[in-house]
Amino acid sequence: MNRKVVVLLLFLPLIVVFTSCSQPKPQTQLRFGILAAQKGLWDEAIFRWKKVIQSEPDSSAAHNNLAVAYEKKGLWEEAEKEYELALKLSPNNKHISSNYDKFKARFENSEKEEDKDNKKKDKNK
Amino acid sequence: MAGLLFFFSCSTGEHLKLKIEIPRKTPIPLEGFKELIITNFLVKEEAEDFDMNKALNDFFSAELDQKLEQKISSTAISFENEEVFQNKEFWQTLFPDRKSAILFTGRLEYTQEIRKAIKSLEKRQFETPFPEESRLEARKFYSLNLQIYLIDTQTGEVLYTRDFKESKSYRNPNQTAPFAFIDLIQTVRDTLFRQLLGEEQVQERYLIK
Repeated sequence: MNRKVVVLLLFLPLIVVFTSCSQPKPQTQLRFGILAAQKGLWDEAIFRWKKVIQSEPDSSAAHNNLAVAYEKKGLWEEAEKEYELALKLSPNNKHISSNYDKFKARFENSEKEEDKDNKKKDKNK
Repeated sequence: MAGLLFFFSCSTGEHLKLKIEIPRKTPIPLEGFKELIITNFLVKEEAEDFDMNKALNDFFSAELDQKLEQKISSTAISFENEEVFQNKEFWQTLFPDRKSAILFTGRLEYTQEIRKAIKSLEKRQFETPFPEESRLEARKFYSLNLQIYLIDTQTGEVLYTRDFKESKSYRNPNQTAPFAFIDLIQTVRDTLFRQLLGEEQVQERYLIK
């Protein structure tokens, strides 16, 4: 067999892998955001996921991830908005639902504590 | 072979479970204020052996200074009665030149008493002619009732208030009131800071790929 053909056959799998995995740009941005988040670079992650939303406004993954990032930053209203959008786009996604439930539970617990304090205060009056 | 490589290189999960530290929602936006003024507290009954207000002020000044970027200062005020905390005008007129500041004030009650507690005795392995030890022992019992108010100097409004009731008993008969006081306010600090400063808590979230 011709040597060139052998080399080509050896490289063929790599070419296939390379081309098959080359995702469209938003998908790359989405994954890059996840990598940034894993390294604790939440601002970078937010930047990436916002870019995804710019090109794919219906990406529930990007909305969900952005919500998590906002939660991490303590931006509660923004997080709630993004979770709601993500759930609206993918109502049956159990991961988004789980995130949203945990977010809600935490948020409500803080408010309950506050209410408890206020009730105590009223009782003492 | 190519198909196999394609399968393995692209078969990544749909999601990533991540443990992240998420802050709590704070009851007041502390970042909107430039200064936190710690005042003396309204004390129901002064202790004989130490200055409770000084101990409290020193403790919270140091602790809040470590946690907050805002300027921490302290000042002494004179309280007429307990109703003063709801009197907006009183607080408004107190520091008219210090805008965007929060007052850290409140009411303090600290008591100590000696209580009898049942001692846990080891079972005797054999009979002895000696009389059994008393089953009661004296313990020093301290309780702290602290009501903290955070008040906006500009509006005189109470931004946050919470009652803390802490108590602890000590076997050590030489335990002193100042040391027990520090023990108790450390417990108050932990709860207060967790709520007030929105301290982070580890939570699990899913990121979607």
